[in-house]
Amino acid sequence: MTNSESLDNVVLELRRGVIVLAVLSQLSDEQYGYSLLKLLSDQGLEVDQGTLYPLLRRLETQGLLESVWKLEEARPRRYYVISAEGKKLLPKLKKEWAGIVSVMKKMLA
Amino acid sequence: MKLINRYVAEVGRRLPLVKGRKDIENELRSTLEDMLEDRAQKSGRTADEAMEIELLTEYGAPQKVAETYDPTPYLVGPRMFPMFIMILKIVIAAVTFGMTIVTAIQVVTLSPMTGMELLKVIGEGLLNIVSASIAAFGNIALVFALIERFAPASEFKLDEDEKWDPISLMKEPEPEDIKAWEQILAIVFIFIVISIFNFNPQIIGINYMTGNEWKVIPILSEAFFRWLPLMNIAWVAEILLNGMLLRAGKWQISSRLFSIAIKVFQIVIGYFLLTGPSIITVTAESLKAIEGFDAEAAQILGTLAQQGARGVIALVMFLTAIDIIKSVVKMFRQKTSM
Repeated sequence: MTNSESLDNVVLELRRGVIVLAVLSQLSDEQYGYSLLKLLSDQGLEVDQGTLYPLLRRLETQGLLESVWKLEEARPRRYYVISAEGKKLLPKLKKEWAGIVSVMKKMLA
Repeated sequence: MKLINRYVAEVGRRLPLVKGRKDIENELRSTLEDMLEDRAQKSGRTADEAMEIELLTEYGAPQKVAETYDPTPYLVGPRMFPMFIMILKIVIAAVTFGMTIVTAIQVVTLSPMTGMELLKVIGEGLLNIVSASIAAFGNIALVFALIERFAPASEFKLDEDEKWDPISLMKEPEPEDIKAWEQILAIVFIFIVISIFNFNPQIIGINYMTGNEWKVIPILSEAFFRWLPLMNIAWVAEILLNGMLLRAGKWQISSRLFSIAIKVFQIVIGYFLLTGPSIITVTAESLKAIEGFDAEAAQILGTLAQQGARGVIALVMFLTAIDIIKSVVKMFRQKTSM
């Protein structure tokens, strides 16, 4: 494995860890997959479609998201929004994240 | 949009058997159409086939896209992998051990053999070990793969998920204490064995009826009784050992050494029994002599009995050797903990 591959793998692992938090944080208002992808991208977090869609399904299966098909627009779209369960979990995840950032900031200073 | 529809159908065909396949297809179509529209707006031209091709190329091969929806991309996932490896090691070791014993018994019972015959038996034994190991591996992998797919993590808790208490480390190691009833039972059993072989050997025989009369063919041969005095010494020594243990209430270095000496002696007797003339009288000929006994069945049974007897002796010798090793290990542990 080259250095560049190792770096890519580590970066991938780091990003994978934050995607769940990023997605949950952006779904207080309902979004369909592509709009969520753009929303994340606009804020600087590029997520691959191949990662996002299966993740949305998994979070829905876990009860952290809810989804509904809407047919009134140009094409049918599946909208996702954070569930009551997800709302309970989000503050805890945010706190964990803040702790990690604070620790890592000190370590890397 | 024709290409997008075909692409979605291609992905759909390759999706794993998960719930909501139609949903996945519809969502994928909707996303691709959004992306195409976005792309057309940004470029300031209407979407065409070339733009579709560009988009689909970026989105990736249908197979790859379908794979991302597989909730269990492993045959055996990380949750069960350590357990899988542990069971695999135990089973493969047991299979190898078992097949080695079978081969060893074959070598012993078929002796004397020419060099080529010996090589053939050993070669076949090795092949059997390999094929049995592969079969065991396949079966274990199949069972674990089924559990991986059909037992949700919440319902299948592994040992490491259980609460572990460090207090368990504070418990003293098992003492060398013995259980009195085991020693008493052993003494009684050895007495019975001694009395049967020395005073009532006729009990061990094949009973059959001819006309109105019961007849008995003794099973044990003269060769067996030739070694009986040595066996008696070993049995009496065993009784003494069990008596020592009962009095002391635990294993000591002296009793361990005595036990090892008895076992070595038993292996020596086993060697004489194995290499000398057969210890049982049951042969194809003796069975054929029984009225009404089928000649073919007599041939098979006779051969089986002869080989079986030697096999049992070899197995007992092997198990005794293992016991010796265990005793030596325990003795050294006991010595170092003193």
